[in-house]
Amino acid sequence: MVQLRPRASRAPASASAMVDEGPPASEEEAEHGLLLGQPSSGAAAEPLEAEEDGDDELEDEAPEELTFASAQAEAREEERRARETARRDKTLLKEKRKRREELFIEQKKRKLLPDAVLEKLTAASQANIKKSPPKLKVSLQKKNEKCEKISDSKKTKVQKVQSVGQNKSYVALRLKDEDLRDSRKEAAKAFIQNSLYGPGTNRTTVNKFLSLENKRLPVKKAAVQFLNTTWGTQRKQNAKKFARRWMIRKMKTPKK
Amino acid sequence: MLAAEGGMGEFKVHRVRFFNYVPSGIRCVAYNNQSNRLAVSRTDGTVEIYNLSANYFQEKFFPGNESRSTEALCWAKEQRLFSAGLNGEIIEYDLQTLSIKYAMDAFGGPIWSMAASPSGSQLLVGCEDGSVKLFQITPDKIQFERNFDRQKNRILSLSWHPSGTHIAAGSIDYISVFDVKSGSVTHKMHVDRQYMGVSKRKCIIWGVAFLSDGTVVSVDSAGKVQFWDSATGTLVKSHLVANADVQSIAISDQEDSLVVGTAEGTVFHFQLVSVTSNSIEKQWVRTKPFQHHTHDVRTVAHSPTALISGGTDTHLVIRPLMEKVEVKNYDAALRKITFPHRRLISCSKKKQLLLFQFAHHLELWQLGSTVATGRNGDTLPLSKNADHLLHLKAKGPENIICSCISPCGSWMAYSTASRFFLYRLKYERGNISLQRVSKMPAFLHSALQILFSEDSTKLFVASNQGSLHIIRLLDGSFKHLHTFPSLSGTVESMCLLAVSPDGNWLAASGTSAGVHVYSIKLLKLHCTVPAYNFPVTALAIAPNTNNLVIAHSDQQVFEYSIPDKQYTEWSRALQKQGFHHLWLQRDTPITHISFHPKRPMHILLHDAYMFCIIDKSLPLPNDKTLLYNPIPPTNESDVIRRRTAHAFKISKLYKPLLFMDLLDERTLVAVERPLDDIIAQLPPPIKKKKFGT
Repeated sequence: MVQLRPRASRAPASASAMVDEGPPASEEEAEHGLLLGQPSSGAAAEPLEAEEDGDDELEDEAPEELTFASAQAEAREEERRARETARRDKTLLKEKRKRREELFIEQKKRKLLPDAVLEKLTAASQANIKKSPPKLKVSLQKKNEKCEKISDSKKTKVQKVQSVGQNKSYVALRLKDEDLRDSRKEAAKAFIQNSLYGPGTNRTTVNKFLSLENKRLPVKKAAVQFLNTTWGTQRKQNAKKFARRWMIRKMKTPKK
Repeated sequence: MLAAEGGMGEFKVHRVRFFNYVPSGIRCVAYNNQSNRLAVSRTDGTVEIYNLSANYFQEKFFPGNESRSTEALCWAKEQRLFSAGLNGEIIEYDLQTLSIKYAMDAFGGPIWSMAASPSGSQLLVGCEDGSVKLFQITPDKIQFERNFDRQKNRILSLSWHPSGTHIAAGSIDYISVFDVKSGSVTHKMHVDRQYMGVSKRKCIIWGVAFLSDGTVVSVDSAGKVQFWDSATGTLVKSHLVANADVQSIAISDQEDSLVVGTAEGTVFHFQLVSVTSNSIEKQWVRTKPFQHHTHDVRTVAHSPTALISGGTDTHLVIRPLMEKVEVKNYDAALRKITFPHRRLISCSKKKQLLLFQFAHHLELWQLGSTVATGRNGDTLPLSKNADHLLHLKAKGPENIICSCISPCGSWMAYSTASRFFLYRLKYERGNISLQRVSKMPAFLHSALQILFSEDSTKLFVASNQGSLHIIRLLDGSFKHLHTFPSLSGTVESMCLLAVSPDGNWLAASGTSAGVHVYSIKLLKLHCTVPAYNFPVTALAIAPNTNNLVIAHSDQQVFEYSIPDKQYTEWSRALQKQGFHHLWLQRDTPITHISFHPKRPMHILLHDAYMFCIIDKSLPLPNDKTLLYNPIPPTNESDVIRRRTAHAFKISKLYKPLLFMDLLDERTLVAVERPLDDIIAQLPPPIKKKKFGT
């Protein structure tokens, strides 16, 4: 029991060294082992004891003596095991991925309408739609209604998607796409605004720019903009906030 | 802002300065060498086509749209024009019918850059998500071909190698060189972020140009113009040209000169010159700086003879290169185009109303009045101020193409790219009420020009399919009278209309095909004015005589008698003698022609910098006479006055002049738009240190 401790403490240390630093670390270990192996066992015990001194326990019993060969074998075994587990993990992951891909493909197939129906849809005759399975017809109708609603509410943002029927009074669009598109457009606009007029771009104001010209003119003219609307913005905001809070407080107090 | 003033000795002039029009900034320019045309896109999505051979006339325009913002513009094979923008769509324009042919989603998020291949058969777009997509240009559409290797950052600039085998793409902090065949990156060149010793957050490559010897030229936000060797991916030379971003680059076809534009408003010219006077070794040298802009130069172009630049300050500047110009004539002078070459203002003479057209709204103003009288040149005080009657916001994201108010002031019409609106205006004791005329016919969905007849009973609409519609207006309703189909297979749309005051003749002109005169009584084509090489800029039919006066972009003015179907004697005499050389050297086209109701010999016309009354009874000026003569003092003897007087009486008092018309026999209205007022409303410019301020 007692002998196991130093072994247990030692083995993980060597394993971690191997994982962290690879082969050179193991070589170092081997060198160290060689140094230990050359003198007598008593001499070898000394440094180990010195290590144990810090712990202040079990001083009377020396740890098990390890030969270089056994330590090496142990280390090799450990390395092999680690490699094996890594490989196993990899294969497992691969298998998992493969299975998921298959599932996706299957799902996609399931989502798609049968080939015949698709062909008919592209032909886009009303009769064909009627012939298709009832479930599909209902879903199509629903889709149409939805599309019409959307196009009514959002006539301005029209983006053509394949229209199922011949009826051209509406255009189908996915609101999700529009949102995505708008947000990306806004982000792009923010980028250009930031890189042209953002912090660190060294911009002046129009008024300062025009006054620069005015300063050098022989005839001095009035400033183009008299009013500075940005003056005292913080104070104005504070006042507004205060007024709102005051109003809310006033509204609350009569009730009590 | 309004002053009534005794000007020209005989008119009371309303000097209007409350037209708060700000042109939108220029985002891209693209020059087409074959047709010598320049496409210009603005930040509001408007695309304009300038004909550089026709005295830089803006001959076509495509109205903008709020949801589109054009970031890239290019010409492809057979003079097809493409644009791409932040909504992720590639748009092709139909230059014949002046409409959008199609819009196609590139599915890569917002598009920052686009370039047509040297052969013009392929189109490359650089997207927000870091993808570079190659499209094949088919005769009637474009087709996605493939993606190049995706980059981490947005692709802000693109350039083809002249052989079409490689491309350079500018992104943030690096430039990638792609092999077109495999679509893979062959080199990645990292740009130094250092800016004047301070490390900036990032370095944006605003533009790249690929030369045929494999050199890649890049311009970036650190203010550098850098030359790279694409074969080794190494930096060859770096020029620090600005304290701010360098935003645009363009290269000449011979690859011996290039131009860059900076955020400070400076345009630099680089030239490939020999190192010593007779050595073969050449190097790029910064030769000339030009400061024609006050704000960011967002885009530049290089025509064989000129540097073209445009930016946030809304000016389009065309600077001819002296060494490339063969004849040192007026064509070698600098051109600065600020205002559109079309009318944005219409006027109701009877009610003294002005209708101002903006990109997304219309404003109706009542002119002020005065009871005071004064001597010639006096500024009269107003007894009643100008009144803002109406502010009409257009629905939807589309820009307004054209608008018009009827001479009686009771009808108003405007059109966007997809809808046509007609309103009835009613005035009751100082109140104004507006009523939309509903159920417009289906064919009236878009108009390029709208005109009311003099008695406000008929409405003429030039649609973009080349046809002309005549609509009779009744009280609160309308009736479609007739449609003149587009002439003999041409789909070219009509841009200018003029109707005779007696309501019998309608003249219409397209972008190039000449002027057609229709008889409204007989509802058929009456005649076609002999074709002329230059586009028409303004048209008007004189009262009583029914003479059609036509102004062309090369500053020629013709008078054509409609009943006789031939040019008038005066016009022939004028052509024989020729115009004064100073008249022909004016920069801006004539945008409006009107007539004096009591003086049939007078023609009133104006451009952006002058107002002119042509008196046909006086002798024509020759090159020796003074064209811009001041008004002769009244105390001079009659003989001297007669000797110096000639047919062209020109006033340069009002400028920039956007509109001028005769309200009645003794009253003129002039709408000015001072440039300072426009600058005051532009985005902030770069701060520059000026010594002594």
